[in-house]
Amino acid sequence: MKAGEQGLKQTVTGAPERLGRLLVMPLLAILGAVLIYPVLFTARVSVQDYRLNALDQVEFIGTEHYASLITNATFINALRNTAVFVVTAVTLELILGLALALAVQRLGPTRDGVRSILLMPMFVTPIAVGLIFRFLLNQQLGLIPPLLDLFGFRIDFFGPDLALLSLALIDVWQWTPLMFLMMLAGLESLPKAPFEAARVDGASTWFTFRRVTLPLLRPAIIIAVVIRMLDALRVFEYVFAITRGGPGQTTDTIQYLIYRVGFQFFRLGEASAMAYVLVAFVLVLVAVLIWLTRKGESA
Amino acid sequence: MRQRPPIPFLLTLVTALALAACGPSDDSATPDNGDATGEPVTLSVIMEEVPDTDIVLDLVEDFEAEYENITLEVEALPFDQMRDRIITSSLAPDPTYDIVVVDNPWMVDFANGGYLLELDAYIEGTEGYDYEDFAEPLRDIGVVDGTTFGVPLYNYALSLIYRSDIIDEAPADIEDYRQLVADISSEGEVTGLAMQPQRGYKIFEEWANWLYAYGGSLTDDSGNVTLDSPEAREALEAYIETYETAAPADSLSWGFDEALRAVAGGEAASMISYNWMLPTLNNPEGDAGDLAGSFAVAEVPGGKAALGSWSWAIAGNSENPDEAWEFISWLTSPEIDKQRVIAGGAPTRMSVLADEEVWSEGYGQDYYETVAAILEDAEPLASGPNAEEVIEIVGTHLNAAIAGEETVDEAISRAAAEAEEAFARTSEG
Amino acid sequence: MSRTKEPSPVTSRSVRSRLFTALRLGFVVLAVIAVLVPFLWLVASSLKPAPALSAGPFEPFRPQLGWWRDVLASDVRVSLVRSAVVGLVTVGISVVAGSLGGYAISRFGTGGRTLRFGVLSGQMIPPAVLVIPLFLIAFQFGLNDSLPAVIAAHLTFVLPLTTWFLIGFFDAVPREYEEQARVDGYTRFQAFWKVVLPQVRPGIGAAAIFGFILSWNDLFYALILAGGQARTLPVAIAGFNTFRGVELGEMSVAILLSAVPVLIASFFVQRRLIQGLGAGGLKG
Repeated sequence: MKAGEQGLKQTVTGAPERLGRLLVMPLLAILGAVLIYPVLFTARVSVQDYRLNALDQVEFIGTEHYASLITNATFINALRNTAVFVVTAVTLELILGLALALAVQRLGPTRDGVRSILLMPMFVTPIAVGLIFRFLLNQQLGLIPPLLDLFGFRIDFFGPDLALLSLALIDVWQWTPLMFLMMLAGLESLPKAPFEAARVDGASTWFTFRRVTLPLLRPAIIIAVVIRMLDALRVFEYVFAITRGGPGQTTDTIQYLIYRVGFQFFRLGEASAMAYVLVAFVLVLVAVLIWLTRKGESA
Repeated sequence: MRQRPPIPFLLTLVTALALAACGPSDDSATPDNGDATGEPVTLSVIMEEVPDTDIVLDLVEDFEAEYENITLEVEALPFDQMRDRIITSSLAPDPTYDIVVVDNPWMVDFANGGYLLELDAYIEGTEGYDYEDFAEPLRDIGVVDGTTFGVPLYNYALSLIYRSDIIDEAPADIEDYRQLVADISSEGEVTGLAMQPQRGYKIFEEWANWLYAYGGSLTDDSGNVTLDSPEAREALEAYIETYETAAPADSLSWGFDEALRAVAGGEAASMISYNWMLPTLNNPEGDAGDLAGSFAVAEVPGGKAALGSWSWAIAGNSENPDEAWEFISWLTSPEIDKQRVIAGGAPTRMSVLADEEVWSEGYGQDYYETVAAILEDAEPLASGPNAEEVIEIVGTHLNAAIAGEETVDEAISRAAAEAEEAFARTSEG
Repeated sequence: MSRTKEPSPVTSRSVRSRLFTALRLGFVVLAVIAVLVPFLWLVASSLKPAPALSAGPFEPFRPQLGWWRDVLASDVRVSLVRSAVVGLVTVGISVVAGSLGGYAISRFGTGGRTLRFGVLSGQMIPPAVLVIPLFLIAFQFGLNDSLPAVIAAHLTFVLPLTTWFLIGFFDAVPREYEEQARVDGYTRFQAFWKVVLPQVRPGIGAAAIFGFILSWNDLFYALILAGGQARTLPVAIAGFNTFRGVELGEMSVAILLSAVPVLIASFFVQRRLIQGLGAGGLKG
């Protein structure tokens, strides 16, 4: 049984409970200080006709915003685009990140240096990454198209078919290093004993990987996926720097839409409602994910 | 550097507010020009980070020398960032800025939202200001429901920028232009033009010129949406066809930056762009390198250009409106404005455009006469409440059409319907 | 790490393991190249004179240091320091509160499922919407256009993620470790501090780096809450994307200035924080 599950299942009373409460206080205090007012404000605004250019006409309208979102094609499209983006990007990042972690872990003296280099993309602010790739993938000025041309490929990276995928690949470039880092941390904190046992038993690499490494890494993988997923949901800068939601509406993501509606069109009430719908979706998704994997484990 | 306990700050804030409440009441109806007297005042200004701002900053020093008790703190930010900060600062309980620059689509929304101060009394009370001297379209932009909220800072009217060594004479007719660029592109050396079909603001800014050339419009004089017309459809079809035959390959997401680099780098022979890009392109130390000097400017084919413009405005909650007006009226006065334009600023006054001194010390008679011609018949992209949203709406459908996601017919009719809805959305009803 | 059992030099196993090694190395090399190419392009762009920036990528050009001079003389350096300060403070607070709280949630189930998931909910609200109330609060406390306001805003997403992250790592530590420690006479807190905490050091390291990066990269909050006099690095970098086009030369310099020091710093930090302590921490 996993340690965390134990903690949830047993009725914790007495000393552990008191210590637990003590330990949690700093966390709750800080979160309370920085989040309570903003969250309440946003919630209140989402049930009002709150427009930044008409602040003297704020009225309570109840769930009108929320109801309208159900039939809002733009909103649904943005949710769909975001989902596609997140699934594509995070899957690729997981596979590549894990592979890189396994590969780099076994490097000798060059390991630290290689690791540092591989982490570099994370340290560039996303809007700059967006702008860099806007130029790199440009037909006339960029590096990549002429190289592809050598092989006879002609790809319109930001055309209507590929734009969303191109943005996902940019995300992969920037954030695979993070997956790599988390997988490395996970690998390094694995106990050595099971691996010893496998080696003694003459297990092949693939077997070891599937039956020993992966199961032991599972908690780390889940956490990494959830974290990266939540972050990918907030994709904004790449869209802002390159496509502005186009061509057509193919790269209209949910964050970009919320920004547009709230800041460009001044309709903050509606934007807040969108934000809460998103939060609800995500919480449910995360809960389901965790529950499913927990179930799979105890089986 | 943890968060300091807020108590000292709260006290300071409360004290400041109390003092302000006891101070002289601000009355925007009493203009007061001439050398200012009284206690030192610091004006907080937010501007966009563009070359025109640099020119203004140079002039600020002269202003501060003349008006010793006024100091200016100017914050220059790029467009998107500036916008976001103006919006948030307007919500603040205390004024963040005294003077703001306002882009034309925001004018109505900001005025209606109470962000801006009325300027009519100030204008009337300032001697020698010659408000009528500003080009009419620019003046109109600053007027909302008969009240003036902004005075022109600089224009960004669109024009045709082209390579004079490739194109002898800029075509005045849109069909001639289309034919010309298609011919140039088919020769294969350079493309006839570079386009900016990026979704949203950019594509509409470019396409509006085409719309006007084909006789269409977004709204009529009374503000009714007139976009749903055969002329608009023709204009969009023509635009798309030219994109397919003459524009650089895979340039569907191109905005200003890509198009400019294509032209500066010698890959495209023309583009529709802001008239003051000409001096930039012809600058030997600028982006164009060897090509500097081979660019010329003309009115857009069709003769009627889309117009953008920035206006000076005073924040509604400013505590120093009189001093703010001192600065604005000084900077935009005929004499100082002339200096600004000679230094390279984009013109706003007709007298300055016709001034021989400006011709000789600025960019030459041709340039200014062309700008004057452009300004005489230019129109903002959209004006009215929620103008920015309308621009986004139209720009989304235009881009969808060129990307093949909507037919021309669908794009125009949907854009018109949604634009009408957006304009009408002033108060919930 | 040899897996072959027979010592004979050319068996199918050793050929296969050599193939694997080659593939592994090739993969790593590819990854390094993929990472470095855009940076190399940035270096080239930072040295190109203006006209060359609009020309094709393979056109020869004469390198010049003009952009470097301009940017180094500007306030980009100061904004770099500000970003570092904001990042370090945010991460410092987050790691402390997050490990304490994360341990409690993991081990004692404090707050039950609600807290475990609820911790994340706040940070999922998009900045476009949260920034307005944050801005208003900052104004209330006279902290507008200041770094503490930015730190507070950054805590809204760094703290929850750090906590969540660490909960996972705590979950993975077997209870036996603490039980053994208690048997040996440690109090619960000592068991946490001396036994469990070292076990999750790699996790703390990763969380710290991740948190720092999120803070380092944030543009939106930093812009609204401190965009004027107290600009952080992303705001300064984004400032090169002007209405008249992207100032590629200067922006490349600014990005390189931002990436390289952090690169060097992370090199040292990694070694300390991700030291493989998986072999045990039972008795420190």
